[in-house]
Amino acid sequence: MRARKIVRRNWLVHWRSRRSSLLLSVLTPVMFLSAMGLGLGSLVQERNAFGGVEYAAFFATGILAASCMQTGFFSATYPVMSKITWQRNYEALVASPLSVRDIFLGELSWMGIVLAQLAIPFLAVMTLFGFVHSFAAVLAIPVVILLGLACAAATFAFTATLQTDEPFTWMFRFIVTPLFLLSGTFFPIAELPSWAQVLAHLTPLFHGVELVRMLTLYDLEVTALWHLTYLLVLLAAGIMLGIRNLERRLLP
Amino acid sequence: MTPSASSGSDALIVASGLSKRFESLIAVDGVEFEVRRGEVFGFLGPNGAGKTSTMRMIGCTSPRTSGELRVMGMDPATHASEIKARLGVVPQADNLDIELTVRENLEMYARYFDVPRDTAAERIDELIDFVQLRDKATSKVDPLSGGMKRRLTIARALVNRPDLILLDEPTTGLDPQARHLVWERLYRLKQSGVTLVITTHYMDEAEQLCDRLVVMDKAKIVAEGSPRQLIERYSTREVLELRLTDPARKKLAASLDGLAERAEWLPDRVLLYTPSGDTALASIHERGIETDSALVRRATLEDVFLTITGRSLIE
Repeated sequence: MRARKIVRRNWLVHWRSRRSSLLLSVLTPVMFLSAMGLGLGSLVQERNAFGGVEYAAFFATGILAASCMQTGFFSATYPVMSKITWQRNYEALVASPLSVRDIFLGELSWMGIVLAQLAIPFLAVMTLFGFVHSFAAVLAIPVVILLGLACAAATFAFTATLQTDEPFTWMFRFIVTPLFLLSGTFFPIAELPSWAQVLAHLTPLFHGVELVRMLTLYDLEVTALWHLTYLLVLLAAGIMLGIRNLERRLLP
Repeated sequence: MTPSASSGSDALIVASGLSKRFESLIAVDGVEFEVRRGEVFGFLGPNGAGKTSTMRMIGCTSPRTSGELRVMGMDPATHASEIKARLGVVPQADNLDIELTVRENLEMYARYFDVPRDTAAERIDELIDFVQLRDKATSKVDPLSGGMKRRLTIARALVNRPDLILLDEPTTGLDPQARHLVWERLYRLKQSGVTLVITTHYMDEAEQLCDRLVVMDKAKIVAEGSPRQLIERYSTREVLELRLTDPARKKLAASLDGLAERAEWLPDRVLLYTPSGDTALASIHERGIETDSALVRRATLEDVFLTITGRSLIE
């Protein structure tokens, strides 16, 4: 697969510019979990609302999924825009034997690696804090990567159609932030009004969060298949639309 | 590789009835041309004439709307990867990878072309010397001057030892020293037998480099030939440029007969197209017309270009 050449290039750049990123990706969950999880968690004595687990563990799983979603969204906005318009890396790539498909899948694979670099240390820290209740938790890693990639592919498809970066501002404000807050990250969606619960069911983060909680805190249920299907379909649609839009953009 | 049906085997590019349309805009309108192996072929024309669109169709980065196009005997619509593997492309604006060093830019690009690692290392060493960037090999791209970036882009276009190199305005925006260095390198490539296709709106560039060229205007090819042929066909051997006072201008206008094949009246100058500028100037003085200044020069492609595409500003 020629797409791996794209991954190599990104790896080289990434390794040089952010050698400290591993430290950062461990520190972030440590700070998040100690400050928010334990701090806020000590005030929340309620357990029934969180399926019988302590709030900090509930919160940690939500934040893990939400961070991956956010990283997925972000990595397909400004960095991709730059390679399309500002630095025009892709223009140089399509002049080589690489196809648009190679470029798209290569970039997406790289985003998957970035997500793994976020998810693995995060889950390790969660384990140290005692927030992981099952060995199945290992599977939460591919799940949050899938969640992040599904968001990234869809965003990539959108970015490929843009002439300016202006829409990103409102995308983060009116799409990413509400998703972050209202998909069951910080509290169960049962607390929301019923119309908002319906909306929450439509968001990718809700499905990701549900899956992660089943794998780390609760028991697996059949509904897991539905959550998984949702994310896989979103990813497949994002890839198809993304390749099509990027082809239109790079090969006018 | 299938040999192209319409021409001899030494034709690297064959286009006929080639068109490109963007919604309502016709960028290229039924052009026909042939580029032969080993020559430097130029597309000359004002901005927006369709040069870049034509180049992009050849480079397989813009699908044609209609007509026929064969590049090295293959159809860009069906064999893009195979064609691109044997092409070198120097785009209008540099698109180097600014997060990599000079050398890494070449290494990475060689990888995209599947050049084996050892071969690539050797070739990149040669290329860095060829474009005179030895001192900068480990430098990042961003701080390089415009001329250096251009040379690096040219080196990058050579990592796959292409049979055909497409250069879209290779020296636009460079200072004279940098331009001459680029020209000299391109001339060396030509001598080594590589086929070059160049777009430019610099007439001196076209005259220096091109064996044959076509002039494009408003999406069509309006003239074709070698620089010499075009000058003979569309201009005279020499041009006499005169600066005159207003009375002298009127006087000249009244007694122009037999002085020149064609005269062009510009606000600041009068251009007389003539086989011999000195003879024409002598007879002007014989007729008692005073000239503020007079310059006899050889006709250039610029005269051809302005004759064909007109003097009005195209924006």
